[in-house]
Amino acid sequence: MSNVNYVTFTIVLVLFLIVTLTGFAAARWRRAEDMMHLNEWGLGGRSFGTFVAWFLLGGDLYTAYTFIAVPAAVFGAGAVTGFFAVSYTIIVFPIALIFLPRLWSIARTHNYITPADFIRGRYGSRGLSLAMAVTGIVALMPYIALQLVGIQAVLTVMGVGTSSTNTYLKDLPLFIAFLILAIYTYVSGLRAPALIAFVKDILVYVMIIVAVFYIPTRIGGWGHIFAAGETHLKAISPVTHKPNGVFIPTTGNSQLAFSTLALGSALALMVYPHAVTATLSTKRRDIIKRNMALLPLYSLMLGFIALLGYMALADKPTVASVKKAGGNAQLAVPYLFQHLFPSWFTGIAFSAIVIGALVPAAIMAIASANLFTRNIFTEFFKPDATPRLQTQVSQWASMVVKLGALLFAVELPRTFSINLQLLGGIWILQIFPMIVFGLFTRWFHRWALLAGWLAGEIFGTIAAYKVATPTTSHWAGSTDLEFGHTVYIGLSAFILNVAIAVILTLIFKAAKVPEGADETQPQQYTADPAQPPSPAPAAVGIGSTGAAPD
Amino acid sequence: MTQASIKSRGPIAAHPVTSAIIAILIVAVVFFAVYVPLYARATPKVGDFPFFYFYLLIYMPVVSIVCSVVVLLQKRIRAPGSQDGEVTR
Repeated sequence: MSNVNYVTFTIVLVLFLIVTLTGFAAARWRRAEDMMHLNEWGLGGRSFGTFVAWFLLGGDLYTAYTFIAVPAAVFGAGAVTGFFAVSYTIIVFPIALIFLPRLWSIARTHNYITPADFIRGRYGSRGLSLAMAVTGIVALMPYIALQLVGIQAVLTVMGVGTSSTNTYLKDLPLFIAFLILAIYTYVSGLRAPALIAFVKDILVYVMIIVAVFYIPTRIGGWGHIFAAGETHLKAISPVTHKPNGVFIPTTGNSQLAFSTLALGSALALMVYPHAVTATLSTKRRDIIKRNMALLPLYSLMLGFIALLGYMALADKPTVASVKKAGGNAQLAVPYLFQHLFPSWFTGIAFSAIVIGALVPAAIMAIASANLFTRNIFTEFFKPDATPRLQTQVSQWASMVVKLGALLFAVELPRTFSINLQLLGGIWILQIFPMIVFGLFTRWFHRWALLAGWLAGEIFGTIAAYKVATPTTSHWAGSTDLEFGHTVYIGLSAFILNVAIAVILTLIFKAAKVPEGADETQPQQYTADPAQPPSPAPAAVGIGSTGAAPD
Repeated sequence: MTQASIKSRGPIAAHPVTSAIIAILIVAVVFFAVYVPLYARATPKVGDFPFFYFYLLIYMPVVSIVCSVVVLLQKRIRAPGSQDGEVTR
């Protein structure tokens, strides 16, 4: 523990302790008669109003990884791979406004806990529901791991960690932080991240407002910041013999990459299981809509967070520190704060990042655990599981998921986790047709959707594997050339997915292949029931008797 | 009875104009963010911000307003028996 600034460290530690107490206390917040229901543990009693939901969704969608990776990408390569995130968080809300309220209504009416519950009820297909559940769990694992990478970046810059060469001892602080998180999530369920999100968002807001107004005055103003960014990005890299990045995408290919990345990521974000979990935890249909109108204000902050990348480029000591740390761009923002802020405020900013990691990690673990419990355990192994048993299974599953993510983050090389996260986005985009199309029409055949999903996943994975740069041989990015145009792989896989689903639906319908029962009714997609139909989640498969086995 | 007739026609068929405005607003707000050639320019600079960056930042509050308008319009469509006269057509 050399070079630790004790003021910074103490502040981070104190805020972490406050958050831990909040996490345990959350079990008593809006306490229900019986906590041992997935509606309670897994969805916070489906009772959150606009205010709580805004913090919860904001805390959920804007992860620590956002605060670290987006500016890191801007720091490294500029607009196309980094600043596209701003465009992406612009369009995600109008798009979600179209389908998210429908998902809320149908889930409320039928007491669906997970998006895969909806798939099961809509298409009467266990196979399709399993495909969705597995995709969700697999894609969330590296996402949780990346939250840890965010914490690691802060710990590295703080100089916290033992000097041991043993990975487990070296990352001991990370282990302890995550174990505590796992325990209070186990106890309090979704109430823990919902309550902690208040602390997180306030800290993040303070951090970013101060950064935006204070840092430019220290390093020569916005003009200098943009000039430094432009100079760096236009410089020719000695390794690739190409410019380091793109300051403003003016060529056709960079513009197409920018647009497809933004559009593909926006489509994917709201079908991520953790986004759905936060959505379903709200009390009224209107709350979702109102939040879609309010959350862009959070994105405005993301825009400034992205610009921290250029601020880091304009600050010479930060650039030097990053170079010294092996060119790890993820350390850029933590170093920038450390160099420019007094140590007490660095402590607050670092806490914002660490706590910013805990909130989404908890929600993601809960979302994965619910998918496992509802759509794998109950569906295939124990159809008569009581609500109590389901909750217990979810509690333990959330533990396992977190430990898995921890091993992921510690064992695998850092770049590998990041690439897996890129892959996760490509994977999750392939469940968009079955969920979102399914919210509007029952035209698609369940097996056609399954085939489209499979094709999209295989194509996306192989295409991403083949992406190479002079420095990396595989998984080097998430865009590739399709017919001479640079396109986000997730989006090209998505188009293939939809094309196959349409063609096969036509074929299956012509061949009169059994459709599977649909337990939903059109008016239920716009319903706004004040009370969920029953306190316990419906047994999986209710109403789907008579469905052809698949 | 009025409600039943609306249900049978569906809210979109019952309010073609409002529904069209909603659709146009959402398509437009997505299009103007995704169509990069429109704003991928360094000039005119706003303050010290190159136009590209200024445009994307100012877009956020704009999206917020557009989404609010859409939510209000949707409310008009959905509210059965509301006083705006459209429902009872």
